[in-house]
Amino acid sequence: MTDQNAAVPETAAPDTAGLTKAQIRRMKRFDNPWRNPKLTWGLGLLLGIIALGLIGRLFWDTDMVFTGSGLPRQAPVGLENMRGQVGSWAHPLGTDVTGKDILALLIVGAPNSLYVGVLASLIGMSIGIFLGFSAGFIGGRVDDVIRVGSDVMITIPPLLILVVFQAAYGDISLTIMAILIACFVWQSPTRLIRAQVLSMRESGYVQMARLSGASTMHIMFREMLPNLVPYLFGSFIANVTTSIVTAVGLEVLGLGPQRVPTLGRVIYDAINSGALIQNLWWWWGIPTILLALMFIGLLLINLGLDEVSNPRLRRL
Amino acid sequence: MTSTKRLLLTSCALALALAAPVAAPVAAQDVAREDTVIFDLDRTIQDPENFNWMTDGTGIRRMHGAHQAMWEPLFILNYGTGELDPWLATGFQGNADSTEFTITLREGVTWSDGEAFDADDVVFSTEMAMGNEELTAREVATLRSQVASVEKVDDLTVTFTLSAPNPRFVVENFGVRIFGSFLVMPEHVWSQTDNAATFTFNPPIGTGPYTFTSAASNRAIWDRNDDWWGAATGFQDLPEPQRVVFLESGGEESRAQLMATNQLDAAQNLSVGTFEAIQAQNPNAMAWYPDYPYAVADPCARQLEINTTVAPWDNAAMRKAVAAIIDRTQIVNIAAEGATTPSATMFAQYGSMDPFISAVVDAGHGLPESADVEAGQALIEGEGWSRNGDYYEKDGETLAVEIHVNSASTEYTRTIDMVVEQLQRAGVDARSVPVENSVFWGEVLPFGNYTMSYSWLSCGSVNEPWASMGRYTVQDVVPVGERSPGFNNTTRWDGPAAEAYSEVVNAMAAMPLGDPAIPGMVADAYQHLDAEMPFIPLVQAFKLMPFSTTYWEGWPSDENYYNHPFFHWNSGHQIIHNLTRAN
Amino acid sequence: MGRIPISYLINRLTTLVLTVLIAATLIWIIPRLSGLDPASAALGRMAAGGGSVANSDQILEQLRATFGLDQPLIIQYLLYVKNTVTLDFGLSTASFPTPVAAMVGNALPWTIGLMLISLIVTFIIGNLLGALMVWENTPRFWKAAIPAAMVFTSIPPILSGLLLMYVFSTQLRWFPLSGPYGLNVEPGWSVEFASSVLYHGFLPALSIVVVTFGFWALGMRGLMITVQGEDYTTLAKAKGLRPRYILYRYMIRNAILPQITAFALKIGMLVAGQVLVERIFAYPGMGKLLYDAILTQDYPVIQGVSFVIILMTAIAVFLVDLIYPFVDPRIRHGG
Repeated sequence: MTDQNAAVPETAAPDTAGLTKAQIRRMKRFDNPWRNPKLTWGLGLLLGIIALGLIGRLFWDTDMVFTGSGLPRQAPVGLENMRGQVGSWAHPLGTDVTGKDILALLIVGAPNSLYVGVLASLIGMSIGIFLGFSAGFIGGRVDDVIRVGSDVMITIPPLLILVVFQAAYGDISLTIMAILIACFVWQSPTRLIRAQVLSMRESGYVQMARLSGASTMHIMFREMLPNLVPYLFGSFIANVTTSIVTAVGLEVLGLGPQRVPTLGRVIYDAINSGALIQNLWWWWGIPTILLALMFIGLLLINLGLDEVSNPRLRRL
Repeated sequence: MTSTKRLLLTSCALALALAAPVAAPVAAQDVAREDTVIFDLDRTIQDPENFNWMTDGTGIRRMHGAHQAMWEPLFILNYGTGELDPWLATGFQGNADSTEFTITLREGVTWSDGEAFDADDVVFSTEMAMGNEELTAREVATLRSQVASVEKVDDLTVTFTLSAPNPRFVVENFGVRIFGSFLVMPEHVWSQTDNAATFTFNPPIGTGPYTFTSAASNRAIWDRNDDWWGAATGFQDLPEPQRVVFLESGGEESRAQLMATNQLDAAQNLSVGTFEAIQAQNPNAMAWYPDYPYAVADPCARQLEINTTVAPWDNAAMRKAVAAIIDRTQIVNIAAEGATTPSATMFAQYGSMDPFISAVVDAGHGLPESADVEAGQALIEGEGWSRNGDYYEKDGETLAVEIHVNSASTEYTRTIDMVVEQLQRAGVDARSVPVENSVFWGEVLPFGNYTMSYSWLSCGSVNEPWASMGRYTVQDVVPVGERSPGFNNTTRWDGPAAEAYSEVVNAMAAMPLGDPAIPGMVADAYQHLDAEMPFIPLVQAFKLMPFSTTYWEGWPSDENYYNHPFFHWNSGHQIIHNLTRAN
Repeated sequence: MGRIPISYLINRLTTLVLTVLIAATLIWIIPRLSGLDPASAALGRMAAGGGSVANSDQILEQLRATFGLDQPLIIQYLLYVKNTVTLDFGLSTASFPTPVAAMVGNALPWTIGLMLISLIVTFIIGNLLGALMVWENTPRFWKAAIPAAMVFTSIPPILSGLLLMYVFSTQLRWFPLSGPYGLNVEPGWSVEFASSVLYHGFLPALSIVVVTFGFWALGMRGLMITVQGEDYTTLAKAKGLRPRYILYRYMIRNAILPQITAFALKIGMLVAGQVLVERIFAYPGMGKLLYDAILTQDYPVIQGVSFVIILMTAIAVFLVDLIYPFVDPRIRHGG
């Protein structure tokens, strides 16, 4: 991060005197706001996780995600498990209690978890943005229907629908799980965006646009949406994480895809097999670190995008 | 670095300081930890105010201490000897054709409110069960289906007349064969209510050495009644624990931590790895065996059920092929972490079942411990399938199978994962279909909506073979989509071999227990099971129930075998009576 | 500010009633869509416990009759509506014949106590940290520490619970492992009971707070950035007001409004979301009750718990809608 200086007062003139060369270089870089270090790092982390999934498949035998691929409870390379057995390169990150290879599980599972989180959040936010704007801006009957609809969906406990769905259709795919989770993340953005739109509708620039004869669509998506971007990205990132954690929760209840490894499933298996008390930290710890990395990546992207869209946040 | 450390220490100290004043809540009726025995309860007491076990389908209204400390059974079946240990009754007598049983009650038994326990209570309870169909608990339904009439002979003698011959009547209904037994209720309390189905029986009373103190959704507390009749009459000494607690634990990890910190004296089923970890932290933790397999078998041996109406598995040779391919030793080592043994036959391997298992094995039936994949593949090829790449094919169709498995426990899913891998490697495109517990038991099994499934439907036999064998006879065959009566023969096994099997098994049904002809008949019937393989016995059920000797000694174990260790069963009385204070 | 126009009040009240009515109907329909039979499930549970079930057909018929499942669907629905209006949810089927109202009544105080307190604590901490992330005068240490602390948000609640349990209960033994209060304590209006409840509730609450404050912080941060660019903030700065005064009175006060709406919306999610924490700590809340009920096809309990959640959420949303125009002068009643 590049926050070694306190914020430059925004009223400061672009006076380059007294700045170091490095600061000048950085300032020039702001000519292209997309070359933002936070954004780069964040994207890098996420791409790294995706790359782990793609490249890992080439170099590592992913069939080892199945039961009995190796000796159970092997420690990662160079470490010892409770029985004093030293980990080997056959399973560099160790194995779980049924001999599944942790590295293989992560290679397959991490991109799967990310996929579910991003897809669910994307669907949920898109619905939320569309309905929130429609309700807030068009108002009237449309507003009433959307409001009651989202209120109803907010109140229904998600567990109920998910269990019923699973009972009716049996095993589900990752995509269906993402869609199901999306059903529970659109309501909040809908309401919040509606509220924001209501307050923005009265603000000067929207009134101005309306007076100048701009169409509803134009005002909604060209004038108002950009103002909500920081907030929207914040909730998008939060929703990706919520969705990943929700997916973990579902897998714990036996409601996720059963034969497809995800980080949530690995953590759940670990918890359910007493991994903590057995000190099999690699089993739950490494997937948790990956989850954290995903989150950090998303957070950095969020911070970076804010700086892109809001020059006042940029630091030298 | 150091500043972070200091910050951490300071915040920890702060948290401690905040917690300290509230750390020692005191209650008026404190019983010392050394005088309290704490058992694990693996579920929530959803209705702690209701003690009517007769309308309870799950057993939670009795397994939270009520039927281990307060309500006593008439007999308790000993799993080692197959004998009925007398408890509230002293003995029984059946007639020649097993249609009439006379039970003698113990003298001097009283309810905890001082009223005498006698034949009137037995007759009243039985008649209540027979006359009220709204009482749907399993034990009530079983009794209702068997008894035609009940009669008091004198204060301590009761005669039951059955609607059909049943040599197993006493052990099935009053002997704690599996989990519970029909509990006799006090007439002077229950006769006050109009409808037994809505009666809550609160506060409850019983004949046991403990009385009810309090219950909440996560625990039930029972305190010793020092005026217990058993001590007064010399039946048994007063048990040592002053207080018995059943405490809900939340899953394997929480349970393990409670056990490691001595907040539980006896825990429900845990995995081997977890148990070893507990032992590392708490050397007082013990299991049934001091070493592998640690766990003890419960009466429901695990098996792979095969629907005999679904092609290509309607062919006995194909089913036998699957049996040959499955490596049961690998299931033991990987899925069960070494906590069990492969089943030789369909039966649970208790001392009391030895004569029947030996008869089957000596006749050359039953399954070997290890797989013979080539033999299995030869059987498949013999049916016209040929290997093409990964899988067998015939007429352009891949040899595939879906195995339904209950997703409620990792034991089930892990075992089936293992079976799936073994079949895959042998050329069968197997896939597991995990289903939610109530879907599995409510929709999949009884209606035959599966091709193969992991279950324990030959469960039943503990001291005689019929209870298990009688579940696969042809009279219980119904079409797929209709409910199998009593969850019997859900594989829909039919045909000449099944008929020959049923003939032998039905003949066995009415023969008195211990008849010397029975082992031979078991072996005779078993040849048909072996030839047709409607289900494949896998491994013995395994329950690793750890005990802690920190506060209490005298727990049941292989070395101290007074009975099985299932403390959530009605036989828990025996365990509590055997406990002695440590040190 | 002014009085609430009657037409607005009527509009919102209609929405409230409509929401509750539709939602209550949905929670009646949804479980029945699965096509699962609670009586069959109950019988299945019996069979799972051991050997053959004698008289299974008769038991099944009896269970259907007792559960009222032999009635036509429309009658079952009307009966449900009639009962629900009087807050009588009938009798549980899995724990027959316990009244659902009693079961919900037992669980509700725990949920309100533990969950609401942790929600409020999370809300305050999360929003404050979120605001500090944006504020210009935040010390550099905090500017770096807050985003780092948010990494906890990626940990599943069940794992945070187990980790806290392992460290603070098993290893350090500072806090009890499970249950809502101590073994030797009986519920009542006593200091012992109250302190025991607080002592036992600390870890479950903490495990929820640790993993959820990040969501609030992130949302708040986004809102603060928007507020930071508003004219009134610039004006306040130009007037030379103290930065801290600007933070509280101008920035947080305006940014917090949408968060308050989100707070109301979270109530329902929270009950369902904390199922696993309740389970590992053996905490008798509504989440666990709902979860157990779903797994046992206990329709009346599902309906009872869901209805209470629906009512709580709907009323909270109603109140927020009502007070929103008072705190945000930019919105007029009637919009």
